[in-house]
Amino acid sequence: MMALLLAAVLALVALLPGWFGGFPPGRLLGLAAGHAGLALAGVVPAALLGLALGVLVTRPSGRALRPAADAFAAAAQAVPPVVAVALAVPAMGFGWGPTILALLLYGIMPVLRATVAALEAVPPEARLAALALGYTPAGALREVELPLAWPLVLGGLRVALVLAVATAAVGALAGAATLGTPIVLGLQNQNQILVLQGAAATASLAFAAEGLLLALAGYAAARGGRSSASPASSAGAAQSRKP
Amino acid sequence: MRAGEVGRALLGLVVLAGLLLPWLSVAPNRLLPGVAASGFAAISWAAPAALVAVVLAVPQRLPAWLGAPAALAGVALLLTATGWAAALSLEGLAPAARAGLGGGFWLGLVAGAALVVARAAALPGMGRAVLAAFALLTLLLLWQAGTFEALSLVVEYRAREAVVHAALLRHLALAGAALALALLLAVPLAWAGFRRPGAAGPVGAALGAVQVVPAIALFAALIPLLAGLLALLPALRSLGLGAIGPAPAVLATAGYLALPLWRSVLGGLTAADPAAVAAARAMGMTEGGITREVRLPLALPVFAGGLRVAVVQAIGLVTLGGLVGAGGLGALVFEGLAQFATDLMLLGALPIMALALAADALIRLLEHRLGGSA
Repeated sequence: MMALLLAAVLALVALLPGWFGGFPPGRLLGLAAGHAGLALAGVVPAALLGLALGVLVTRPSGRALRPAADAFAAAAQAVPPVVAVALAVPAMGFGWGPTILALLLYGIMPVLRATVAALEAVPPEARLAALALGYTPAGALREVELPLAWPLVLGGLRVALVLAVATAAVGALAGAATLGTPIVLGLQNQNQILVLQGAAATASLAFAAEGLLLALAGYAAARGGRSSASPASSAGAAQSRKP
Repeated sequence: MRAGEVGRALLGLVVLAGLLLPWLSVAPNRLLPGVAASGFAAISWAAPAALVAVVLAVPQRLPAWLGAPAALAGVALLLTATGWAAALSLEGLAPAARAGLGGGFWLGLVAGAALVVARAAALPGMGRAVLAAFALLTLLLLWQAGTFEALSLVVEYRAREAVVHAALLRHLALAGAALALALLLAVPLAWAGFRRPGAAGPVGAALGAVQVVPAIALFAALIPLLAGLLALLPALRSLGLGAIGPAPAVLATAGYLALPLWRSVLGGLTAADPAAVAAARAMGMTEGGITREVRLPLALPVFAGGLRVAVVQAIGLVTLGGLVGAGGLGALVFEGLAQFATDLMLLGALPIMALALAADALIRLLEHRLGGSA
């Protein structure tokens, strides 16, 4: 709730100067829609990939890939989003391309990490019990492990989405039209109103993303708590802050 | 086929793909796009040999002490042949002509290096150290022999050597200042949260909220906010505080570092087993003695983990300082981006990545030491 409130306040800060000669509110809203669309378009395939990879490296057959996945995650963390966007420019040119590439890269990591951590936090007895009851390994994964792991995975999704909003803002440096555009324009023309509007709008969108995913996680935890009363899910929701 | 083998085989395929993609391009000057050649065309004699050597690291059946050095030799061959091919391709051209590295080169290099690292993981610690020393020595010798001098990236570096070195030092200074400021903020807050657990919740929420703000927004927003503050309190100006320059960069970066530091200090302090603390107290130790003798040794490994995250983040985040006039390696990246000069961008970006990876590895080593002794 706190995050959504902050998002609303920041949105007001971003939009108000528009009526007094700042960046026009209509264009700001258009950029916000583009920004949100871009972040989602990048984060959804990345999250699916991260989830799939996370499941893969926790299966007995894929366990040997685990060190490689960890190394990949650590290496990607060493490359800040700005640098990733900048490095993609020579290969893809100015525009949406570099940003989408960076979004894909940064979307995978948090979801992969959260999925691995969540699946490892599932008590082995739960899986063994499901297998003893006659579930196939795939069935146990779908019906037992993933539902128990879901709240922690949602935490990873939230981090990925907030990171995607930030990365899309940086994409303005590489020519993508996002809420970072007023910031870059303002910095170039020494127009501090524009900088403040862009910054407030970007932060507002990030808080909105955080708030929505937190609400979703709360809903999932409440439902999970009723249906299976699992200790893993409530513990997961409590400790799922940023990595 | 084992999964590790599958992963290494994939890396080998990536090296092959890199050799098929644009490897080396020759352009009339540093800004114009050049005519690109694939790896098999640019380094025709070395490419197949290097590929075979690199792929020796794939099979599990081949021992690691054979596979890893073979892959390392393959990567070194790729580097050497590329340097020579660049020098050869520039012969007879105007001095402004540049031989630039293509995307295929970087893809092949990263995948090849990853293969070496992946195969070396099966070696004992001593073997890995020898291999790493050998790799560094080879790189140093090749550099000293002038193998890479014809490459556009190195030409760009030679033209701006002083600027790059100054930017590197400035980057480290900015990151260090931000880290110091964040420690000044986080350690007392964590201590207060440890003494009064009720205070920890709101502090955590506030520091967590900062994490949600996109970095570019916080860096940029600090300029008008600091300008407003300076207009209200002009005396701050005499302290060297400015709305543009290092102040917004250090403040914003410190804001992001505060959470991992605060959390790790608090986590470390509370890591001590209450029973051990009670036993120490019963033995007549003072509160300060308990903190020094019982809590700190247990807290250090946890704190080192938080410090590692903070240092890696500091090195990355300070990059955005280039946008707000703070300088550092980020300034090179943004200048390159504005000029569409890939080499200039890389001159800023490569040291940032190298610094972050080196800091990560060094503090990880420290963590293992602390974890082992505790």
